Amino acid sequence: MIRWPKLWAPHRGSIAFRLFVSSTFWSLVILLGAGIALSALYRHTAEADFDNRLDVYMHALIADVATADDPATVMPTHLGEPLFEISLSGWYWQITRLDGADKAIRTSRSLFTSHLPRLADEGLPSGEGGARQGYVIGPDARVLRQVERVIDVGAEGNYLVQVAATTGDMEANIDKFQLALAATFLALALALIGTSALQVHYGLEPLRRLQEGVGDIRRGGREHIEGTFPADIAPLAAELNLLIDANRAIVERARTQVGNLAHALKTPLSIIANESDADPAQFSAKVREQAHLMRDQVSFYLDRARMAARAGAFGRSTDVLPVLESLLRTFGKIYPERSVHLANPSGLAPKFAGEQQDLEEMFGNLIDNACKWAAGTVVITLSESRDAAARNLIRVDIDDDGPGLPEALRTAALARGRRLDETKPGSGLGLSIVVELAELYHGTLSLATSPQKGLRASLSLPGIE
Amino acid sequence: MRLLVVEDDRDLNRQLVTALEQAGYAVDKAFDGEEGFFLGETEPYDAVVLDLGLPGRDGISVLSEWRKIGRKMPVLILTARDRWSDKVRGFDSGADDYVAKPFHMEEILARLRALVRRSAGLASSELACGPVRLDTKAGRVLVEGNPIKLTSHEFRLLSYLMHHTGRVISRTELVEHLYDQDFDRDSNTIEVFVGRLRKKLGVDVIQTIRGLGYLVVEPGSNPSGS
Repeated sequence: MIRWPKLWAPHRGSIAFRLFVSSTFWSLVILLGAGIALSALYRHTAEADFDNRLDVYMHALIADVATADDPATVMPTHLGEPLFEISLSGWYWQITRLDGADKAIRTSRSLFTSHLPRLADEGLPSGEGGARQGYVIGPDARVLRQVERVIDVGAEGNYLVQVAATTGDMEANIDKFQLALAATFLALALALIGTSALQVHYGLEPLRRLQEGVGDIRRGGREHIEGTFPADIAPLAAELNLLIDANRAIVERARTQVGNLAHALKTPLSIIANESDADPAQFSAKVREQAHLMRDQVSFYLDRARMAARAGAFGRSTDVLPVLESLLRTFGKIYPERSVHLANPSGLAPKFAGEQQDLEEMFGNLIDNACKWAAGTVVITLSESRDAAARNLIRVDIDDDGPGLPEALRTAALARGRRLDETKPGSGLGLSIVVELAELYHGTLSLATSPQKGLRASLSLPGIE
Repeated sequence: MRLLVVEDDRDLNRQLVTALEQAGYAVDKAFDGEEGFFLGETEPYDAVVLDLGLPGRDGISVLSEWRKIGRKMPVLILTARDRWSDKVRGFDSGADDYVAKPFHMEEILARLRALVRRSAGLASSELACGPVRLDTKAGRVLVEGNPIKLTSHEFRLLSYLMHHTGRVISRTELVEHLYDQDFDRDSNTIEVFVGRLRKKLGVDVIQTIRGLGYLVVEPGSNPSGS
């Protein structure tokens, strides 16, 4: 849920953004279309309603005309609508004789001296029973809804009966309806946009989990992507896990091959060296010298090959304490006359984001070095800190009570590839491999003076929280 | 001192056996894990040189099996795998020391001397009993400061006895620790060797405890009191 801000500002070009934009766009198009259709439907219904009302008057007029003794002169009396009596009230009727010579026109009082225009003149087609409906401009320039019909009263002639009324009320109703419709649809649109944002967030959540799972593996917190995923991306997660396993298998195989190569080369080298050691001839001395050179080079490049094999590996975590404890047991046997202590004042149980073998290699070389030079005691102190990027760092200080190392020589001791230059085996401090391994894991190794005035080697490595 | 060498490479095995015999040890050899395990299980060795990369059965499993059935002899592991993770695994399965290939023969010899000495509970590489001093490093014996020339069998006998001063050592134990398995073992020859050794040393450090065996003590001290 911490990821909310990301939801509301999806990255342009992201799937979230595309889904959100397309769903918003289509929601708006559909809503707009529906709004227009509904509005038109409402207008149609309102007009039909209004026409029905006008029709009632129309029928009353027709009844009056048709049943009158003299259809040509009768004034209708049955409308019962006072608005027809008030001048320019907006409600009008008009009866026009179509045959005969006089073309006499009778109108409601409301029309005063003006007349209604004819719909037939405007080319409107006639509907059922010769009726026409439409809009006209009335005598007071207002828009009128008008219905008209031609009736045939036989010998008494043909008459055009027209009823018209102002549409003000109807238009007001339609406007009111459209306003309500717009308000409703606007709310609906907002709700839909909100829903689609939620859906994008909810729908893409498994992808985000997948991304976090891969991130965890890269940072070394996990070995596999864990948890259940929806059917669409579960195969992707499974494939990723297989890919990670395959990567690990390749690294493992490379390491095994390198180990085998070491074994295959070192045994014959041992034999050559021993055989030449036992023989005093000049030739043997040359062989011995070259065999030693080969031995050093094999060791040097095997270390690098191992490291190269490791560079592609990720997703490992190692408990630091058990590694230190088994190393202490080992050093207890290698240096029975030295005392090697582990101090863990804060009771930490850190996890190193990397391979156990590498951790053992770094600690092993540093402790071995300390034991070689110590007068009697080696103290290993475990602590934790944070770097500039607030990453968790495991710090291990290895202090001896030996002669120490002058500051001027410390940099040289840490120099890369130093061992290759050493002519005598074992005379180097063996620290270059530690430096390279530490760098591989974005850690650091530094040298200082220990509290016992010997050498302090401080190794800082990335930890997992 | 009797040692076992388990190494599958024939040349290296031969070199090790030769060097160790020259240094005065009785040496048995095995070329694979099964044979090595069997010898270590049945014979009482004073130390074992064990290669880890063996055909059939690897060194680690041989070693941990020995430890499981209670074989406690010091074991020096020999391997081309020189990473600390390999060393830790070796030590955790019961190794006492570790030498990475390629190695100098002197290193193997020095480490074995230290192992044998440590397992006998001795701190110095020079063993002393009264006027007799035995330098395990140099393979020399001095009596009152004068070097004494001993055959390798005699040296081995004196060395074993002096590694276990103050303890009665039976003839059977001596036979088991002084001869390799191919040697014709006749416990009577032990008496002959002890006799010669006494004559060469000229001082009475080796006492015979009737019916039990031999005891090395400083001349003049009471054997029952030590």
